[in-house]
Amino acid sequence: MIAAAPITYFQAIVLGLLQGVTELFPISSLGHSVIFPSLFGWDIHQNDKYFLTFLVATHLATAIVLFVFFRRDWIRIFRGMGRSLRDRGIAPDDYDAKLGWLLVVGTIPAGVLGLTLEHALRGLFASPQSASFFLMVNGLLLFGAEALRRRAPQTDDDDDRRIAKQVSFPESFFVGAAQALALIPGISRTGAAMGGGLVVGLSHKDAARLAFLLATPIIGAAALLKIPELAGSEGTGIRGQALVASLCAALAAYASVRFLMRYFETRTLIPFAIWCLAFGGACSIYFAVT
Amino acid sequence: MNTRHPVVIALAVIFGVALIVLAVVYWAEPAGSLPALIPGHEAGSGHHHVKHGIAAFLLGVALLIFAWFQTGKGKADQPTPT
Repeated sequence: MIAAAPITYFQAIVLGLLQGVTELFPISSLGHSVIFPSLFGWDIHQNDKYFLTFLVATHLATAIVLFVFFRRDWIRIFRGMGRSLRDRGIAPDDYDAKLGWLLVVGTIPAGVLGLTLEHALRGLFASPQSASFFLMVNGLLLFGAEALRRRAPQTDDDDDRRIAKQVSFPESFFVGAAQALALIPGISRTGAAMGGGLVVGLSHKDAARLAFLLATPIIGAAALLKIPELAGSEGTGIRGQALVASLCAALAAYASVRFLMRYFETRTLIPFAIWCLAFGGACSIYFAVT
Repeated sequence: MNTRHPVVIALAVIFGVALIVLAVVYWAEPAGSLPALIPGHEAGSGHHHVKHGIAAFLLGVALLIFAWFQTGKGKADQPTPT
């Protein structure tokens, strides 16, 4: 039976801010959302449906922020895709259309795997111990992506055109498949997608941009699918908290995406890799001894 | 990706339509009524695999779009990684 107030408003604010930051930083929002309540000793059970439904509201807020932040890119992309459908092909100089179909191809593996395996994977790996372990794995993946990074020449001044010129369709599928790793709590969607982008030759800035563009439909669609549950019985007692958390997540996500797009103009994934290894390692030890 | 072979186009259309039909089956039939060879079959279950249906539907649409592009005039771009 669900208690009268399974999540307090204070907890909602903390979880919303945490979600907004960690969803876009390459450090796994799901992993942190699973670990932090246990660290604080909160009586929130990560496998309970109300908690997953609560998180979905914050995901939707993050997806809306991402869409608004990149709205000009999305308008260009939608127009380009429309042109290519009308012409039954992508014109050689239509980079907006190509970027749009690159995003579709990159969304397929994460979308299909997410729709079919998400429930089973969360059931298996949604414990704080497991999330701590996979947070360390995420740190190693980020280090690995930096080590395997291919440095390709910059081909255009426009960000979207540069990505469209540099990434092929098989490479986009590869980046999307890497993103699917984020179904495991502790593995970061942004980190996996950025790592894939670095390996196929994108700069940090372009890899981050591609990761955020790829994340928008996945996060948004996953959230929209669960919104009816928030409106139904599983949302009873948490709707107000979910709304507050969503507002906090939106503010944090906006600040995060602005910060990260500037940060990755000059810097790398290494600080995030160190954080994941250190925090994941410390939490693993803490949960093992308590 | 621009193979333009009629067999490839035919296969994309056939599998695309088949996946959309499969999506409708997932939405209409409970897991217990699905044929045993279809992923998600669970004997006696009344659960509908809505997400499996969405995945099959989107894959089907993707294949039909691929076939649509293959029937273009031929000036379509072959992605060229640098």
